[in-house]
Amino acid sequence: MSVLARSVGNAFRNKIRTTAVVAVLAVAIGLALAMLVANQAVTAKVTELNASVGTTLTVNPAGGQGFEGGGEPLTVQQAATAAQVPNVTEVVGTKALRLRNATEMAAQGAGGAGGFGGQATTTMTTSLTPAVDAGTLGNRNQETGTTGSQPARTFSLPITATGTGAEVDSTGKALDITEGSGLGDYTAASKSALLGTTLAEKNSLKVGSTFTINDQTFTVAGLFDAGTAFGNNAVYLTLTEAQTLAALPGELSTMIVTVNSMENVDAAKTALQTALGTDKADVTQGQRNLETAVSSLDSVKNISLIAFVAALGTAGLIILLIMVMLVRERRKEIGVLKAIGAPNRTIGLQFVLEALVLVTLGSAVGAAVASFASGSIATALIGSSTTTTAAPGVRRATGGFPGGDPLGGANQLLTSVTASASPGVIAAGIAAVFGVAIIGALVPALLTARIRPIEVLRGE
Amino acid sequence: MIEVKNLVRMFQSGERTIKPVNNVSFELAQGTFASIVGKSGSGKSTLLSLLGALDKPTSGDVVVDGVSLAGMPDGKLTEYRRRDIGFVFQQFNLIPNLTALDNVMLPMEFAGVRRSIRTQRAKELLEQVQLDVDRHDRRINRLSGGEQQRVAIARALANEPKLILADEPTGNLDEQTGGHIIELLNSLRREHNTTILVVTHDRSLANKTDRRFRLQQGRLTEETAPKQTQGTAAAGTAAVAAAATVG
Repeated sequence: MSVLARSVGNAFRNKIRTTAVVAVLAVAIGLALAMLVANQAVTAKVTELNASVGTTLTVNPAGGQGFEGGGEPLTVQQAATAAQVPNVTEVVGTKALRLRNATEMAAQGAGGAGGFGGQATTTMTTSLTPAVDAGTLGNRNQETGTTGSQPARTFSLPITATGTGAEVDSTGKALDITEGSGLGDYTAASKSALLGTTLAEKNSLKVGSTFTINDQTFTVAGLFDAGTAFGNNAVYLTLTEAQTLAALPGELSTMIVTVNSMENVDAAKTALQTALGTDKADVTQGQRNLETAVSSLDSVKNISLIAFVAALGTAGLIILLIMVMLVRERRKEIGVLKAIGAPNRTIGLQFVLEALVLVTLGSAVGAAVASFASGSIATALIGSSTTTTAAPGVRRATGGFPGGDPLGGANQLLTSVTASASPGVIAAGIAAVFGVAIIGALVPALLTARIRPIEVLRGE
Repeated sequence: MIEVKNLVRMFQSGERTIKPVNNVSFELAQGTFASIVGKSGSGKSTLLSLLGALDKPTSGDVVVDGVSLAGMPDGKLTEYRRRDIGFVFQQFNLIPNLTALDNVMLPMEFAGVRRSIRTQRAKELLEQVQLDVDRHDRRINRLSGGEQQRVAIARALANEPKLILADEPTGNLDEQTGGHIIELLNSLRREHNTTILVVTHDRSLANKTDRRFRLQQGRLTEETAPKQTQGTAAAGTAAVAAAATVG
């Protein structure tokens, strides 16, 4: 019988105790693994937040945002200036168009276009029907610009068409294209378009279908999912095409500026504001709104890390105590093994293998527990953390790019943290538990093996 | 040849100093069957553990085939026990959750003997100590006392030691089984030229050995002229030691 076989046999000497030990270990190891998985998920999300949204600045014309306000429009020359600012890695220009259904627009008359006195408003007709009903809020907003004596009317909401210089949304986040493909070169004129999933569904359009803007035919190249009903009631075109449609070449509605790292965002914002002029452009920091979110996630990350270490320590302590108990119980056996010539390393190895058998069983059950519990634990941690930490910082962005509420995006990102038990993370966690088990078994076994055999045998 | 030179083992018991082994010296030639008799607490088991390197003496030395145990590090002592010593304990001290065969194979496993060889040898040894074949794969706790003692003897012989130390090998056995065990040890000594030293209360057992020692208050005396064994005659040297000191 080999040392391994003997160790496996020893692990099952007392089946009831083995079951109890494995159960206790499974809880501790499962908790440790769940915390590790949650920690890894949150760490990945923090990295993603920092990398994508956290380093993004939005430049709007001074005094205006989106379809609201006044001032002078931004230009491609200003985009070039912005690109020269230190630490700026990318400048993406956008041109916003407002599309109204041609039939409904004719029925509603010119008044239907009222409400937004925006500087960049360029209203055009389209064959598309909006996927969002106007409802009370929409009708109220539409009526704002009409003369007060007119009777209440029912309006249809406009559809936002955005010409963009890259495959990103208004927050700088990559578009999630669910079907078809992107538009290729976003700086070239193209009769291809990306449609929001609900807008395409409302109009029964698929990839390859066509629709019109100002009587020009466009082909659906792909569908995207913005994650919100409002965001999906939109169209993306290439920047040049949007400028051509608006007959405003070289004009931009907004610029999305990406900074090389989160630490440089404040400095880049100041430099950008100076370079563009405070009377020409407003530079806003979407990341400001996300700082709270990132901070919340950071605290969740720390909590999960501490919990992982604590649970791992608990598992290690359990193993240590169990092995101390087992070794003490089998001191005589160790004495006999020494008396018949077993080297200390053989005795140590036997107890280490015995501990590893118990830990392997505990880890197997614990990993199953972790795979089910990690998602819930991560959600619970994030839920409690965002309730207590992020809530005070919540404010709705006024105006801004339609569908581009940065905090809305943050909340979406926060809730989209998914803790999945990846084999690598589980393996790393189990390796840590095994390490603790080896030490936990080796220390008491070797301490006992070092004493003279007669001291153990005489003690019986 | 085993030489014991002025062996002393002292223990502290409260404020008292006890010397269960007090300046003991003797020699045993290879192949001798010897016994040590004495009252309970006379130091018999302590002397046996010193000879088997289970314990270290306070002073004095045990020399086995010219090699001194006194200055040997623990690792070497373990090797000495594995290679040169076979123990038979009064309480058998077998590993309870292992089979008879596995218990006999243990010392060979520690000595690095290949599995197939140690399995074969363990079976032969169990047959030699007349343990029924159907008992070979039984766990120790399902064997009788006599059967366990046979397994213990087989285990002691596993690595073909030069010296077998048996502490009350018949103490837990009935007279008939005990007699058989003694006969077994004697035959093994004859076949393998193994030196056997037994500690016993049993006068009848002691009378069957070549040389008989009495341990009294830590002092060892040889009782009668040694019974000569063919080709292994050894001049027993009874050591006279100072009386056990009570401090």
